[in-house]
Amino acid sequence: MDFRPSRMAVVANSVEAFIREFFDQNPLSHIGLATIKDGLAHRLTELSGSPESHIRALRSNLGSSGDASLQNALDLVHSYLEQIPSYGHREVIILYSALSTCDPDDVMESIKKCKKAKIRCSVVGLSAEIYICKHLCEETGGSYTVALDESHFKELLLEHAPAPPAIAEFAVSNLVKMGFPQRRGEGVVTICSCHKEPKTGGGYTCPRCKACACELPTECQICGLTLISSPHLARSYHHLFPITPFEGGLATLPYNSLQRLPKTCFGCQQVLPNLGNKSGVRVSCPRCKQHFCVDCDIYIHESLHNCPGCESLRDFKREGDATSDSNVFSNKRPVLFVGQQRN
Amino acid sequence: MASATSNPYTDDVSLLIVLMDTNPYFWGAMNGAAAFSQFLNQVLPFLNSILLLNQLNQLVVIATGVNSCDYLYDSSRVGHESEKRSTKGIPGHSLEILQKLEDFIAKDQQLSNSDEAPGKICSLLSGSLSLALCYIQRILRTGPVHPQPRILCLQASPDGSEQYVAIMNAIFSAQRSMVPIDSCVVGSEDSAFLQQASYITGGVYQKPQHLDGLFQCLSMVFATDLHSRRFLKLPTPTGVDFRASCFCHKEPIGMGYVCSVCLSIFCKYHTKCSTCG
Repeated sequence: MDFRPSRMAVVANSVEAFIREFFDQNPLSHIGLATIKDGLAHRLTELSGSPESHIRALRSNLGSSGDASLQNALDLVHSYLEQIPSYGHREVIILYSALSTCDPDDVMESIKKCKKAKIRCSVVGLSAEIYICKHLCEETGGSYTVALDESHFKELLLEHAPAPPAIAEFAVSNLVKMGFPQRRGEGVVTICSCHKEPKTGGGYTCPRCKACACELPTECQICGLTLISSPHLARSYHHLFPITPFEGGLATLPYNSLQRLPKTCFGCQQVLPNLGNKSGVRVSCPRCKQHFCVDCDIYIHESLHNCPGCESLRDFKREGDATSDSNVFSNKRPVLFVGQQRN
Repeated sequence: MASATSNPYTDDVSLLIVLMDTNPYFWGAMNGAAAFSQFLNQVLPFLNSILLLNQLNQLVVIATGVNSCDYLYDSSRVGHESEKRSTKGIPGHSLEILQKLEDFIAKDQQLSNSDEAPGKICSLLSGSLSLALCYIQRILRTGPVHPQPRILCLQASPDGSEQYVAIMNAIFSAQRSMVPIDSCVVGSEDSAFLQQASYITGGVYQKPQHLDGLFQCLSMVFATDLHSRRFLKLPTPTGVDFRASCFCHKEPIGMGYVCSVCLSIFCKYHTKCSTCG
C-alpha cells in the first residue's frame, strides 16, 4: 500500500481540503501548522484564522527528511497553546507516517504535560498502529486512526473538522469582548490596516478604533479587538438547536391507513413508491408528521439542519403547544433579530 | 462523460424557484385586493417570460404563507391539464398557478388561530427556503447534466426574528451548494435577512421603488441566467448590516460580549451568561 504520487503530496492535498472545511465549520477558530523534520519540530505558521496564508505556507514547504520526534512535536505544541485563554478548546492533530520516534528525553513526561494543559491530541497514522501514539491519544482524550488508503485518509482527516463535543466541566463560560463591524459601501477610499495600502470600497470598519480591515473574522491590527460578523456566529447555531432524527418503520401501521399516506415527499415532491412491506423507502418527522424520501433525510440532517415540515407549519413555532408532546422537543430558540437597515 | 452534442443543457439554461409571499395581513393593509392582483399582474408575465427565454428553462413556484408553505407550480411535471386549456389569451400554466394560489390561500386562512393578535405577522420564509433547497438537491442528484438552479424571493412582509436561525441554516446550505438567492422586496422596509442572504450566496438584492414598475425590475435584473450575469452590470449592495443584536435589549450593537459556550451576545459584561449559566 502506498500513496500516489507520494505520501507528502497526498497529505498536502488532504490538509488543504481539511483547512477549508475546518474554517467553514468553525469560522471563529484558529489553526497553526508545524512540521517534524530531522528529529526537530518547526513552526510553519502562527495561529491565525486565514486559510489562504496556511495553504500558501504549506505548499511552499513540502520537503521531508530525517527522523520524526514525537516529544519535540508535543513540546512545540505545548508552547504554542499554553497561552490560549481557558475558554478556547486546545487541540492538535498529528499526521504521522513514521514507525518510531527519536526523542531526546522521556516522551511520557511530554504526554503528561499536554494532559495537564488540557490539550486534546489526535493522531492520523499513515503506516501502522504505534503503541506510543495510541497511549498519547488515550491519555489526552483524542482519537487515533490509521488510514488504509488515500480516500480513507482524507475521510479520517475530515472527520476532525466538525467540533468535538465539549465536556461540561471543562467548558467554562466566559464573556469575550468582540466587535461587529459594518461593511463600508462602494466608492469610499481608505487605507486598510492589513495591507497598508489604499483601497476603494468594500472592507469593514472596527467599531472601537475605526481602523479598516479587509476580511472577517480577524483581529483589529490597531486595537486588538476580535472582529466578527453575525453569520459567523450563526454558522454554529445548528449545534445548539439540532433537529430530531426522522423515523422510518411505517410497517406497523394498519393496512387501511397506508392508503391515506402522502404520495410525494414533502421536501422535494418526488413520488414515493407504495409501501408494501418495505419501511426503508420513506421516513417521517416525529414532530410535524410529514413524510420525506431518504435522500431528503440525508440532506436535511447533514447540510440543511432545518426540517421543512416544521418550518412550514406555524403551529410548531409557537411555544407551549398543548397538543404536542413537550418532552420530545423544546421550542426554545433565542429571539435574535439581526441587523436593521442603516440609512 | 457527456459529449458536447449529447448535453442538451447549455450554460444559460436555468431552474428558477420563485418564493411568492402571500401574506394577507400585508397585502390587505396595502390596498385590499387591488394591490395583490396588481402584483400578480406583474409577476405572472414575468414567469411566462422565464419559460419563453429558453425552451429548457424550468420554473417552480412555492407560496410562502402565514401559517403554511406549499408548491404551486412545477413546469417539469408531465401530464399537465393546463397544456390543453388556455382561456381568453391567458396561458394555461398561469391559470394553473392562479387556481392553486386560490386554494392555497383559502387553506392557509383556515389554519390560522383566531386568538392570534394580528399585529406584525410575518410569512414563513424559512419554510419555503427549505422546500426550495430540498427540490434543488433532487435536481442536483440527477447527475452532472442539469440546469443551473437559483432562488428568487418575492418578499412583502417584514422579517420574523424567530426564524433567524432557520433562515441562516438555509443560507449556509445554499452557499455550500452554490445556489444564489436573489431577493426582490416589495414591502415597505428593507429585509436584513434577505440582504445577508443575497450577500452571502452571491445573489442580487433589490427593493424596487414603485410597485407599478415591478415587471420592469424583474425582467431587467432577475430574468438573467447565471452565466450571463458575468457580462452584465447588476445592482450592487449599497451596504449590508452585519451587526448583531444583543439578547437583552434586541438593539443592534457594534461591540458586545459573546459567551464562549453558547455564543449568546450581550451588550454589558455579566459574570454569568443568562442563556447557559
